Amino acid sequence: MIDKVHNYLNAKVSAAPLISFRLIFGALMVFSTLRFMWLGWIEDHYINPVFQFKYWGFEWVSALSLEGMYLVHFLMILSAIGIMFLRGFAYRISAIFLFLTFTYTELIDLTYYLNHYYFVSLICLLLIFMPSQISPFFDLSKQQVKRSTLFILKVQIAILYVFAGLAKINYDWLIEALPLKIWVPANDKLPLIGSLFTWEITPYLFSWIGMLYDTFIVLFLIYKPTRKWAYFTVIVFHTLTGLIFQIGVFPLVMMGIATIFFSDEWHIRFVRFLVRIKSPKVLEYTYKLKTNALNYFLFAYLVFQLLFPWRYLLYSGNLFWTEEGYRFSWRVMLMEKAGTATFYVKDSQTSREGIVVNSDFLNAHQEKQMAMQPDMILQFAHFLGKYYEQKGVHKPIVRAEVFVTLNARQSQLLIDPERDLMKEKDSFRPKDWIIQYQN
Amino acid sequence: MRNLLSVVILLSVVFASCKEDDSVNTDNKFDRGQMLENYVENLIIPSYKNSQYSVSQMVIAFESFSSEITLQNLENAQNAWTSAFGEWMHANIFNLGPAAEQGLNKSMSEEISTFPISPTKINAALSSGQFNFFDFNRDARGFLTLEYLLFSGQDIDNDSVLSMFQNQIERKRYLVDCARNIQTRINVVVNEWENGYKEEFLRKNGTDVGSSTSQLYNEFVKSFETNKNFKIELPLGKRPGQTQIEPQLVEAYYSGKSLYFLKIHLKAIENVYFGMSKNGTDGLGFKDYLETVTGGPALIESTLAQWEKVLSTLNAIPTTSSLSDLIKNNPQPLEEFRVELQKHTRFFKSDMSSLLGIAITFSSGDGD
Repeated sequence: MIDKVHNYLNAKVSAAPLISFRLIFGALMVFSTLRFMWLGWIEDHYINPVFQFKYWGFEWVSALSLEGMYLVHFLMILSAIGIMFLRGFAYRISAIFLFLTFTYTELIDLTYYLNHYYFVSLICLLLIFMPSQISPFFDLSKQQVKRSTLFILKVQIAILYVFAGLAKINYDWLIEALPLKIWVPANDKLPLIGSLFTWEITPYLFSWIGMLYDTFIVLFLIYKPTRKWAYFTVIVFHTLTGLIFQIGVFPLVMMGIATIFFSDEWHIRFVRFLVRIKSPKVLEYTYKLKTNALNYFLFAYLVFQLLFPWRYLLYSGNLFWTEEGYRFSWRVMLMEKAGTATFYVKDSQTSREGIVVNSDFLNAHQEKQMAMQPDMILQFAHFLGKYYEQKGVHKPIVRAEVFVTLNARQSQLLIDPERDLMKEKDSFRPKDWIIQYQN
Repeated sequence: MRNLLSVVILLSVVFASCKEDDSVNTDNKFDRGQMLENYVENLIIPSYKNSQYSVSQMVIAFESFSSEITLQNLENAQNAWTSAFGEWMHANIFNLGPAAEQGLNKSMSEEISTFPISPTKINAALSSGQFNFFDFNRDARGFLTLEYLLFSGQDIDNDSVLSMFQNQIERKRYLVDCARNIQTRINVVVNEWENGYKEEFLRKNGTDVGSSTSQLYNEFVKSFETNKNFKIELPLGKRPGQTQIEPQLVEAYYSGKSLYFLKIHLKAIENVYFGMSKNGTDGLGFKDYLETVTGGPALIESTLAQWEKVLSTLNAIPTTSSLSDLIKNNPQPLEEFRVELQKHTRFFKSDMSSLLGIAITFSSGDGD
């Protein structure tokens, strides 16, 4: 059995899907990075904020100067072009730089965490370990790679979709059609399809279709007879989500990389369409089949990917409310949540307590994200404590009154408003200062 | 695949059958376009035009005062200022479109009603005779600079004000020029609303960022929060790091009319919530919109109950002395009012935007 799996994964298959994956993924990275810069987000996200929310374990990551950040983004673009066209050592370096620059920019501020950014980071990571010799400039029919290289990319895509689908199997999503009942009618002014969005049944349909789509789409993409139709639904689904939500380039990213499930012939034609070479030479390279260490790494990687999203089971309480174990688990557009957080800073000598104006320190997006996520509330509280201590408040006691609404229900207290947050530390341990959700 | 196909077919049948049946869910439809029309026709443009008119009256009163410095003319000028600033309390919520922050210009309310003003800057300008009302010194222009010139402080009687104008020739020029600057700016905004922006406002009828609903909502919340954060908390010494009360930080400190304007401002905010014009015509507003969405009726109930408390604590504040004097001598009623405003914040801020699905920022959030 193990031999069978081993043989299956080590079998040589056409490299065309991988070559074309790199072209598509690289091009999308170039496009999205240019877009990011053009929208002025380098300034908005990295330069202008007074305070940045850190990722747990990555508190040491911070933004560079404006010039530095532009340099990082230019490097990112060059690396993305590199993974499209370069070979050998140059490819490897490009992939490493792409992973490092992209992941670095993501780690600067937790505010902008998105599952899709995490996904892109993971793909960049996997690309580092992909065969480096293949190239779109040589005869495609003769280039081969081990099946495992394509397999791991496909599994990664499958993990994204299936977990996203499973996460939708919950009462609010399927029975109440929440949050789509909020989001769908809010988009009733879209051209052509807008009027569909006012129908009472539409959010229910979208909820169920969304759940089924995410859970099963990869199966239909793998199975050849259904592939065409499945890809058609990929286009429709991601176009719709792109219209309804502000999710930037991600619909394009998903449409692009789902082509990895297409046949070798399609990929050969596609690559030849993009890189037109009349009679390409045969690329002579020897493919080394050792790399057991690499296989173990990929195996460990997969095990981690399969287990990590389940860590929420270790916590008690409502996952959507506490968000303990919520991130890095492919919970995509699952809930409508918003809060108003009021911070009180008290001088422990004079007992004089002051009220913070959040917008003095946070931009609108930071404030919005912070006000509903306990770990971010804690971080901001610690920042305020330190800030006001420097301003002369003695040993500040920082507490926060946070009212949060979840899926259109009446807002309630998220955390204990009396708790001195300066005394609490963020960790994977359950946060006992969160007030459990009352339904 | 066959299964998926049949599901799709089934769903399209359901879709199609819904379309036939118009009775499904017509109640749930809310026409944001109509709401925007009500806002622009009955609230935004009228508020700005009232402001425009009262400011023009104010300029006339100032000109008479400056040509003939008499006690009567001073009182006329003061009254004209009071009614112009009162009208501005209605218009100052609508910092959108032509009144929004653009390039070097801040929002209209920052450009012409920044407080506290800087007596140092104003006096420096007065002694140098060099005035520029288009620079970055927003605390040396606008309505509250006019107030400083016209009233000069609660302990100062009008005879002294009069003699200041008589002794300092630049003072009346500063007064008139500053008022004309306000007039110019308001004229520009009214003009743009009437020549094109109204149509643009009505056209952007979605809920995305940059849509009129989103912009209006954001300005509404910001304006509401200004009352608590800056008009009440700051003078009460409620900011961390403040070690004492700072009563001179209230809005309209020099005339002692802070509470009067505060009440108008809150009334104007209430009007925006209901979609009600200044003269009481009720049209479609955020409240009506909320009535049609999931969880909306419950939120309206909590909002109105809390708003009652905001108003009752507001009305319990004694009107016999100025707000700054109250802060010094009897802050308790203000403290109670502040607490109720604080409790109210979430209903206007996060609850409402969440239920209405209004996008507040450009970046994606909530998931992806």
